[in-house]
Amino acid sequence: MATQEQVGEPGPEVGEARANGTSGPAGLELRRLTKQFADVVAVDDVSLNIDSGSYVVLLGPSGCGKTTILRMVGGHEHPTSGDILLDGESLVGIPPAKRPTTTVFQHFALFPHKTVLGNVDFGLRMQGMSKQEREKRAMDMVDLVGLSEMRFRRPSELSGGQQQRVALARVLVTNPKVLLLDEPFGDLDRLLQLRMRVELRELQRELGIAFVHVTHNQEEALSMADRIVVMEGGQIQQVGSPAEISQRPANVFVAAFMGDNNILRGSVAEVNRDQAVVDANVGHLAIPTGEHSHSVGDKLTVAVRANCVNLAAGEQAARPNEVVATVAATEYLGDTIKVHMRAGEHNLLAKLPEQRYTEMSKLVGKPVVASWDAMNVQLLRD
Amino acid sequence: MTGEEPPRETLSSERELPGGIAVSDATAAEIYGEEVPAARAAKTAPGASKLVTFLWALPGTVWLILFLVAPVIVVLVVSFFTGTITGFSKTWTTDNYTTIFSSTSQYLDTLGKVARNAAIVTVVCLLIGYPVAYFLAVKVKKVQYSFALFIIALAPFFTSTLIRVESWIPTMGEHGAVNEILTKIGLINHPLSILLFSDFAVSVALVQLLVLFMVTPIFFQLAALDQSAIEAARDLGASGWKVFLHVTLPLTRAGIMIGSVFVFVLAMGDFGTYRLIGGGKVGSIGVNISNLVSLLQYPQAAAQAAVLVVAMVIGVVLLLRFAKLEQGF
Repeated sequence: MATQEQVGEPGPEVGEARANGTSGPAGLELRRLTKQFADVVAVDDVSLNIDSGSYVVLLGPSGCGKTTILRMVGGHEHPTSGDILLDGESLVGIPPAKRPTTTVFQHFALFPHKTVLGNVDFGLRMQGMSKQEREKRAMDMVDLVGLSEMRFRRPSELSGGQQQRVALARVLVTNPKVLLLDEPFGDLDRLLQLRMRVELRELQRELGIAFVHVTHNQEEALSMADRIVVMEGGQIQQVGSPAEISQRPANVFVAAFMGDNNILRGSVAEVNRDQAVVDANVGHLAIPTGEHSHSVGDKLTVAVRANCVNLAAGEQAARPNEVVATVAATEYLGDTIKVHMRAGEHNLLAKLPEQRYTEMSKLVGKPVVASWDAMNVQLLRD
Repeated sequence: MTGEEPPRETLSSERELPGGIAVSDATAAEIYGEEVPAARAAKTAPGASKLVTFLWALPGTVWLILFLVAPVIVVLVVSFFTGTITGFSKTWTTDNYTTIFSSTSQYLDTLGKVARNAAIVTVVCLLIGYPVAYFLAVKVKKVQYSFALFIIALAPFFTSTLIRVESWIPTMGEHGAVNEILTKIGLINHPLSILLFSDFAVSVALVQLLVLFMVTPIFFQLAALDQSAIEAARDLGASGWKVFLHVTLPLTRAGIMIGSVFVFVLAMGDFGTYRLIGGGKVGSIGVNISNLVSLLQYPQAAAQAAVLVVAMVIGVVLLLRFAKLEQGF
């Protein structure tokens, strides 16, 4: 895969993350971090900088290594090799209890035998704080998350959203420097998730500490992150802002995983001054050459975002970046519609405004011309 | 945690992505948010399933009525009959109970002793059993190994209780293996008589017999323990010992209590061990009852049994009170 390039030297996207960092060693740094379980390499030579005060989402399918990274940062797994530094100091070998990181675990992992207050005050109790002091602080934190009325309830007597708040209060009361969140919304109903996203984001801004959030949900990552780290196979595929990740996927995996991309393959047929014409599986493409130099015969993979595809009734492709396809199905999504098409053996997808639903549903089974601007053709690494 | 898991979002959830959906807090809360899981679970049990619930309860109920409630009633009734030399006559009397509580009776002394022994045996079983269960469930990393070791620990139960009790005699007797070895290596000059036919010997034998009743429930509870709660405790700054004290131990309280009830009740009602290991020198209510039955003194035996049951119930209730089992943990 293309990510092999990153093994030796951090790819450009890693450098980019670093470039955006504040000067000096503030924040969390992963240095060539590797974790091997028996015969599986879960995390493969990952280097990453996370600025203090930023909201970073590790995004990837299950088994991509994102949770393992989080667990290593939290101290619940030991790295096979590499280093984890916080503000320039290594965390490796320090037990979780002594780390300035705390974790909101998947399914919250509340103490079922303790009350809300007992859960929240646990961290302070372990620090050896006096009963009076810690109960006051815990109470303040319980107030902050709006659960003071429930303070003597046990977790089983709370709703999912309330449990989540307890989990947050329990870790925040200890004043961590980095908050680690492992699929924090996995147990929540959809509408509640939407609300908690906003709350969590606000909370992070208020606290000004780094949040590292692990999820497999693209939409969640896009809506919350300052920076998204897309992972697969134990390696970083791309690091970037939500807009960069969705508009400029770096490789086939990211384009496919983020969804709503048309991934097209072909070989360069002709190179002009500022454009290369590609003979692709669905027809001819014109792509801006930009900083890339292409030569005739080069094999290429590109992505065209579904919402950059225009559709018009017609049977003739007149120029590059126009493809004749048959409408297979339409999908109504509320504010947008999806039009699924077949171009020969290949699938094409367009996302259009809702207003075109009636027009498009009449075209099912009929030919259309799908077109897009050359500037919307994104060259992918394989 | 709570029972049902809400459905997970799948990777390809575009269909239900409503983009920038704007739902007011109040609406979200009304539709989903603030409903307590228990209430939700209660709603999903409609009236139609009452029959199913009844059918599930039926076998256990029938069993308990036939083999627990009915015999207890019979025992209670018989305990108020008048004893005769060949059994009883159906004349009502409370003499059997006055005999038990009369000042000349040894019954309460014996009951007190048995209860004390049972309590000691329970505590010793806990002190031995908890580490065993902890080792099997937590320290042995591979599940296969921990279950294999657990089965091996159960091996003594493959033989009958009587044989295991009987084998204490050649082991612990005056000329038994332990005394012989201790004499040979010069640790003692004369065989220890305390090893057999004594309260001590009975207690040791009871621990050996009953310790697995303590190990088993604790083992299963430890094995099912939510590891993430333990990780969370470590994450929040708890050292190994504190994790055990504040999380592991409270979360296995139910196992400890169930084990304790088993051991306490079995130790208190025991008669085989007391008869064989105690050798007639150490009395137990079980031995008393068995003697009375062999003398055909059924009403007296029944009364003694009834009082024993009441005493055990009191003991168990005290234990459960202490455990606050009704709180769920």
